[in-house]
Amino acid sequence: MYYAPETTPIDLPTFHSQIKLPYTLTPGRAAGIFLVEIANGRIVGSRFKDGSVIAPAQDFSPKDGEEPEALVEAPDTGELTGFTRVDGAVIGLIRLDGCANAFTHRILGELADLKVGQRVKAEWDGAAGQSILAIKGFVVAADAPVGTVKELGELPEPLGVVNYAFALDYEHAYGPYYGRMFDEIKQNGVFMGVRGSNADEALLPPREIDDITHKRTGTWKACADTGTIRACSIINIEVYGQTRQVPYVYAEVVLDGASTKMIHVIEIDDLEHAKKNIKPGTRVRAVWTKGERQGRVSDIERFEVIDG
Amino acid sequence: MGFSQVAVLASAQTELRPAWNDAQHIDLISSVVTNVFKGTGLSLDDVDFVIDSGSDVLDGRSISNCGFLGALGAHHKEEARVEEDGLWAALYGVNKIRSGASKVGLIVAYSKPSESAIDLYWSAMVEPFYQRPVGFGQKAALGMQAQRYLAAYGITDSDLADLVARRWAAAAANGGVAMGDAPDAAAVLGAGEAAHPLTNLMLSRPVDGAVAVLLGAEDVARRSGRAPVFITGMGTSMETHAFAERSANTLDSVAAAAKMALGKAGWDKAGAADVAEISGPSAVGELLVLEGLGLADAGKGLNAAMGDGINRSGGALPADPVIATGLVRLAEAAKQLAAPVRGGATGPEKAIVHGTGGLAMQTNCVFTLEV
Repeated sequence: MYYAPETTPIDLPTFHSQIKLPYTLTPGRAAGIFLVEIANGRIVGSRFKDGSVIAPAQDFSPKDGEEPEALVEAPDTGELTGFTRVDGAVIGLIRLDGCANAFTHRILGELADLKVGQRVKAEWDGAAGQSILAIKGFVVAADAPVGTVKELGELPEPLGVVNYAFALDYEHAYGPYYGRMFDEIKQNGVFMGVRGSNADEALLPPREIDDITHKRTGTWKACADTGTIRACSIINIEVYGQTRQVPYVYAEVVLDGASTKMIHVIEIDDLEHAKKNIKPGTRVRAVWTKGERQGRVSDIERFEVIDG
Repeated sequence: MGFSQVAVLASAQTELRPAWNDAQHIDLISSVVTNVFKGTGLSLDDVDFVIDSGSDVLDGRSISNCGFLGALGAHHKEEARVEEDGLWAALYGVNKIRSGASKVGLIVAYSKPSESAIDLYWSAMVEPFYQRPVGFGQKAALGMQAQRYLAAYGITDSDLADLVARRWAAAAANGGVAMGDAPDAAAVLGAGEAAHPLTNLMLSRPVDGAVAVLLGAEDVARRSGRAPVFITGMGTSMETHAFAERSANTLDSVAAAAKMALGKAGWDKAGAADVAEISGPSAVGELLVLEGLGLADAGKGLNAAMGDGINRSGGALPADPVIATGLVRLAEAAKQLAAPVRGGATGPEKAIVHGTGGLAMQTNCVFTLEV
C-alpha cells in the first residue's frame, strides 16, 4: 500500500460481519409520558415558562435547556412547514396548532399535493401501541379546524424502558495481507505471517508496515501450529456475546516462528486442573476443526496442552 | 514568550474511491502516514503526538483506533482520537502546538463507508423514540433543508445541477478522485431521486480514503521543505440536535464559527480569502455554508459557489470520505497556497477552510490559512 494511489482497484470478496446490540432505552419523564399517552390518542407536549409549547414533549428546551413548567396536550392538527421524499416515503415537518416547534413525521399523501403552509391532521393507528407510530402519519386536511393546547390533567407514570435492538452489517475488506493469510489457512492449513522489519520472527496477522518501527515488513513466513501461552485467563462467567460454554481458558498464544500473540481458547474439564497446568509458558498445539477449512481463524477449533 | 504560529507542513492522501475493496483501514492509513513525510526533512521520529479521526460506527469495531495505532505511527507516542471530522483533529493538534507542549503533530483521518451501510451510520445519530421510527435521517434532513431553501429563494433544481457538474469537473481536473466521466448537469438531474428535490448526485458521494496532515510550530516550519502555510484562525460552533428547531435557510453555526476564526486571523471578512475549500453534504448544503461564511448574502450562495476560488478541488460533492472530508479540505487548501507560481504571477495567499459533522451539518468548523 506504499503504492496505494497508483494501484488499480481490484474487486475482491469481502468479509461479512454484523454487530447487533440489544438496548433497553430509557425514555425519561417527558418522552415516557408521551409514549404512554400516544397509545391513548393524545399528543403530549412541553410548556415552558414563557408560555411556548413544543411537541413532542421534551424534558428540556432544545434551544436553551430550560425545564418545562408543565406537560400539556397538543392538538393533532397543524401546518406543514417542510417536506421531502426518501425511498418513496414522504417525511415532513409539522407545526402543531399552538406549538412553537415542528414535529417530524410521515406525510400520507403525494408529494405533488403538498406545499408549505398547508393544513394537516394526524391519522391514528389504534393498534400501534406505545410508539410514535400510533400516529400513522399526517394527511392533508384543508379545512381542519385550528386546535388548541389543553391541560393534560393527571399525569400517568412514564414508560420505564423500551426494548430495542440495532443491527449494523459490514463488508470488511481483507486487504492484500489478510487476504493471503486466510487463503493459506484455507488452502494449506498454514498460518502465514510476515517477518518484522528487523526480525526473523513473523508478525501474525501479517501487515505491510511494522507496528513498532513503522518500516516495511519483511518476507512471508509459515508459522507452526504449535506455540507457547504468554497470557491466559480462566473464564468461568457467562457474558453476552460468548460463543462457548464456560469454563474455558482465554489464551494469548505465540505460535512457533511468530513474535505476536494470537488470541484463542483452550477447553477444560476441571477448574483446579486447569489452574495448575495452564499458565504462561505452557506449550500448546492447535486442534483443527473437522471438515473443509473455511479460511477463518475458527478453522482452529481450539488449542490443547501438549502433555509432558 | 508568545504563542507559536502553527503551520501545515505537508499532507498526503490516498486516492478517494467509492470502494477500496482491496485494502484495509490500516493499509490506507499506513500509506498516508508513510507518504506525508516525503520532502519535509522530517520523519516519524520527529512527531510528538498523533491525533486521528474516524468513526467506530463506520469502522464496525469499538475504539477502532486501538487496532490502527501501528499503522498510524503512534506506537509509544501520545495518541488521541477525535470522533468527529478530521478538521477538529487538526484544531486539537494546532492547540497542542500553540500551547508550547509540542512541536510536530501528525493528524490523520480515514473513512471506509463502503464497508458499512452509510444510511445506518446517520440513522444512529438520530433520536430513537421520536425520529428514527418515522424514517428521519440524513437524507430526509438534507431533503427538507433543500426543499425549504429552493422554495424560499426561487432556485431551481437545474441551478443545483450546474453547481454539481462544476464540482465533478473540478475534481476530475484536480485528480485524486476515482470516477468515470464527470456527470454533466443533465446527468445530475437524471440521477434518480435521493431526497426530493435532491437527486442522488446532488448529495455528496461517500468514498473511501485516508488523509494525513503534518502540523508544525513556526520554527520547525521555517526549516521544513516548503514555504509554510500558517493556520491563523480557527472557530467551531454547533446547532441544536433538534433539526426542526434550527433556523430555516441559514446555518447560524457556520456564521458563529467563521466569526471566531476571522476574529483570530484579524480578517474583516471571509471575502479576504482568495480560495475556499468547503464541505457540503448536499448542493444546498454548500450554498448554506457559503452564506454562513459571509461569502454570499442569504439566498445568493449560488453565484458565489460558481466563482473561481470556491472548491477548486471539487469539494465534498464528488468525494466525501465521511469524517475525513474536512481534513481533505485543509490539505487541498494548503496545497493551493503552497503551490509554486511562475515568475511574475501571483498565487492565492489566503484560504478559508470548512468542515462539518452531524446530521444536516449540525456542527461546523472553520480555519483561515495564510502564506
